[in-house]
Amino acid sequence: MPRGLRQEASGNDGNTGLAGGVTLASIELVQVTKSFDKNVVIKDLNLKIEDGKFTVLVGPSGCGKTTLMRMIAGLDPQTSGSVLIDGKDVTRIPPGRRGVAMVFQNYAIYPTMSVRENIEFGLKNNKVPKEERIRLVESISETVGLRPYLDRKPSTLSGGQRQRVALARAMVKKPAVFLMDEPLSNLDAKLRVQMRIELIELHKKLGTTFVYVTHDQVEAMSMADTIVLMNQGEIQQEAPPEVIYRKPGNLFVAQFIGVPPMNVGELGADGVTFGFRPEHAVLSAEPGDFHYSVRGTIVTREMLGSETIYQVRTDRHTFMIKCTEDRFSADQEVFMGVPADKLFFFGADGNRLDERDQRIAGYMNALRVQSHG
Amino acid sequence: MLAQRQVKTGEAPPPNVRESSAAAYVLWILGVLLKAAVILVFVFPFLWMISTSLQTFEETMAFPPTWLPAIPQWSNFVEAMSAGPFLTYARNSVVVTFSVILLQMLVMIPAAYAFAKYKFRGKELCFALVLLAFMIPGQVTFIPVYLMLAKWGLIDSLLPQIIPFISNAFGIFLLRQYFMQIPQEIIESARLDNASEFKIIRKIMVPMSMPALATIALFSFVSHWNDYFWPLVMTDSDSVRPLTMGIAMLRQTEGISNWHIIMAGNVVLVVPILIVYLFASRQIVKAFVYSGIK
Amino acid sequence: MDKRRLWEAVRPYVMILPAMAGIILFVIYPVLYLVKLSFYKYNLLNASRSKFIGLDNFTQIFTRGDFYSALINTVVYTVGVVLLTLILSLLIAVWLSRKSRFNAVVQAGISIVSIALVWMWMMEPSYGLLNFLLKSLGLPTSQWLQSSRTAMMSIIIVSVWQGIGYYTLIIVAALQSIPPSIYEAAALDNAGKFKMFYKITLPLISPQLFFILIIMTIGSFKVFDTVKIMTGGGPNNATTTLVYYIYEFRTTSIGYASATGVVLMAIIALLTFVYFRLLARKVHYQ
Repeated sequence: MPRGLRQEASGNDGNTGLAGGVTLASIELVQVTKSFDKNVVIKDLNLKIEDGKFTVLVGPSGCGKTTLMRMIAGLDPQTSGSVLIDGKDVTRIPPGRRGVAMVFQNYAIYPTMSVRENIEFGLKNNKVPKEERIRLVESISETVGLRPYLDRKPSTLSGGQRQRVALARAMVKKPAVFLMDEPLSNLDAKLRVQMRIELIELHKKLGTTFVYVTHDQVEAMSMADTIVLMNQGEIQQEAPPEVIYRKPGNLFVAQFIGVPPMNVGELGADGVTFGFRPEHAVLSAEPGDFHYSVRGTIVTREMLGSETIYQVRTDRHTFMIKCTEDRFSADQEVFMGVPADKLFFFGADGNRLDERDQRIAGYMNALRVQSHG
Repeated sequence: MLAQRQVKTGEAPPPNVRESSAAAYVLWILGVLLKAAVILVFVFPFLWMISTSLQTFEETMAFPPTWLPAIPQWSNFVEAMSAGPFLTYARNSVVVTFSVILLQMLVMIPAAYAFAKYKFRGKELCFALVLLAFMIPGQVTFIPVYLMLAKWGLIDSLLPQIIPFISNAFGIFLLRQYFMQIPQEIIESARLDNASEFKIIRKIMVPMSMPALATIALFSFVSHWNDYFWPLVMTDSDSVRPLTMGIAMLRQTEGISNWHIIMAGNVVLVVPILIVYLFASRQIVKAFVYSGIK
Repeated sequence: MDKRRLWEAVRPYVMILPAMAGIILFVIYPVLYLVKLSFYKYNLLNASRSKFIGLDNFTQIFTRGDFYSALINTVVYTVGVVLLTLILSLLIAVWLSRKSRFNAVVQAGISIVSIALVWMWMMEPSYGLLNFLLKSLGLPTSQWLQSSRTAMMSIIIVSVWQGIGYYTLIIVAALQSIPPSIYEAAALDNAGKFKMFYKITLPLISPQLFFILIIMTIGSFKVFDTVKIMTGGGPNNATTTLVYYIYEFRTTSIGYASATGVVLMAIIALLTFVYFRLLARKVHYQ
């Protein structure tokens, strides 16, 4: 069973310029277990989310990412274990008092209140005086571009506008933690791309801790400071995007991130699997001299404009290869090669073998042997 | 630890109670007890009625009241039913109620379909008339209707209790709502399959709106089975009177003393509804959730 | 081809014909006839000998004390029933709205008894049971239906009992159709239980509440069965409602009864209009 791997964040930290008066907090989950009736969905999970960072919880449906976030919010309390925000155990603290704001997937804006009333609802409950409320609402609506819609009802707004209302409602409370549950999934493709960029800029400006849940790995890769990849209630890997991509901790991570996913094949020795990314293989009409070279036939060709994806079938495997040039056509015979430094090996337990592992040399040879021209 | 405790009713404490203090748990228990009390308040008179219907006269007059009869007096039912032509009354109730429901279905379904899916001149006006009919009660129309039916010589039949109700305005309204929610694409693909409109109604609309139809039929059943006012003003002879009038007359003939007989009569009136209601009640909530009364 | 187009144009009318015929024949026409009758002193034995008396029936109505007392009784009854039923149904529905099997059983129990077993309450023997309970609690017993003060109250209570099952069902269905994420968002906005009720729950079920309000008002104004069976309009006309009043004159003074019917209709129409005017703005449609 693949074990989760921890890696320290490395590389660029990104800007964390703090806007005036904004708080931020770290989040920690300690030995957290969650079960629904008899079903244990998360068991003894430990996670530290750094303050000020944009952390993305990503994984397939049912992996527990939304459950995790709802535990942080206090909407679905954990069955055992503790949740700490800024070092303080918030288990007994109701959701409205944790300093946490959330944007729901379906926005959950109050349908019978105007946009203005939606935004100031939380402020009113927190006894913010009237003048300050007005000021805050005005300024936030300016920020998200909702000024002209303040007195409209949600049913008269478009999807994108409703999402901004949900965002404004969360932001105006100046929370220490921002939670977002797949906020872009209900938007059309074009708007989604635009909002992605806006959210990244928002994070840069506010510097608050962002926890973002998505099943879309492209969103995860493009927005995150740290990615937390989950599967079936367990953390598979927790690292910045570059690390996750270039040094995946196990087979699941390797095949989840990346489009098309990493090519894998059985080595035939010790239950080891080898793998390489589609863009690292080289296709040519003549046999090459790469560490792993094989002959194959092009099965399908998808020309996407900036790149072309070929499905290549060899005697033992079928691989997806990504090329920037479009030199081949279907049913053509090609030679595929992968350089040694682009090859990954995964043990029988699914974990990736580190470059410095002794056994790599042996497996490299085994692979070399399988090459043919 | 708290989660393991389950009250005998099979109800488990809600999640927020499981996690919090003993005080919250106590409050929850109180809530359950109170709900049980509410049920008791509602259901108890029903049990009381059944119990009284099986007691002797002496038992009913006793103070403190008798809870359970010593020997169930099934003869009370016989006595109640022989106090008048109850077989006729029962037959009338059954015939009237089922005829009304059947006719209403036949009339209501095409009308609701037309209002839901077609565009035609005068549609708004006609639907407004339907809504109007919804709001005008029989208590307003009974005098002219009686004069009308008397002129046609129909008073001595069951017809005055049936034909004025063939148009169920509530039913047309509810069913139209329901039909409107059935996607147009399903109907269009049926049309592409060369189905006639009536076939579409029969094979698609009706099966898909069973909850609404069940609700409407149930309400119609209960309201016509329990109808007292309309038969009272529309009937002149015993041969066409329904069960409700028979039971009401029991109260007058038996005076205010023979409660055991009166209650027996009541049970006879009430049990059929109970059976039908238990049978179809789940559909009611479904229908209201889907169609949304707005 | 033309024949087919013709059929398609005529078809909707054919489909609504039986329904509209029923409505026109047994609702619209009778209403118009009723209005006509109200202007006559109708002779039951020989219809052609009825006399046109213009507005005489109406002047009689508005000058007779027994009409006003029937009107007041009806108003008192309606206000009592509508207020009590609405409040109790709302409370019970909120109480039972969480989806659990126990709640569903309670809900079913209440609705079965009150909707289907309507008759049982009307026949309950002079509240013998109730009096026994009162006595054992040390409280004074009452003559319930024999005293004019308590007779109206008894009828109101019985009607409330009959109505609660039906209306709780409607409200529960409405409550259960509110997406839970809205309450979660409100929890995150630090809203207390009462705030959630006033600012979220109530507005979201306001269409259903409005519907119930109208239906109940109309229904209360036409009450008859309960009165006839429990009190026969007494004691001393204390529970004579408008419809019972009409019923008393239905054979002896058809014209007068018709005129009262017209007045009843006018009142219902007026109330509906008032409701729409006053409350339609507060109802949040989606």
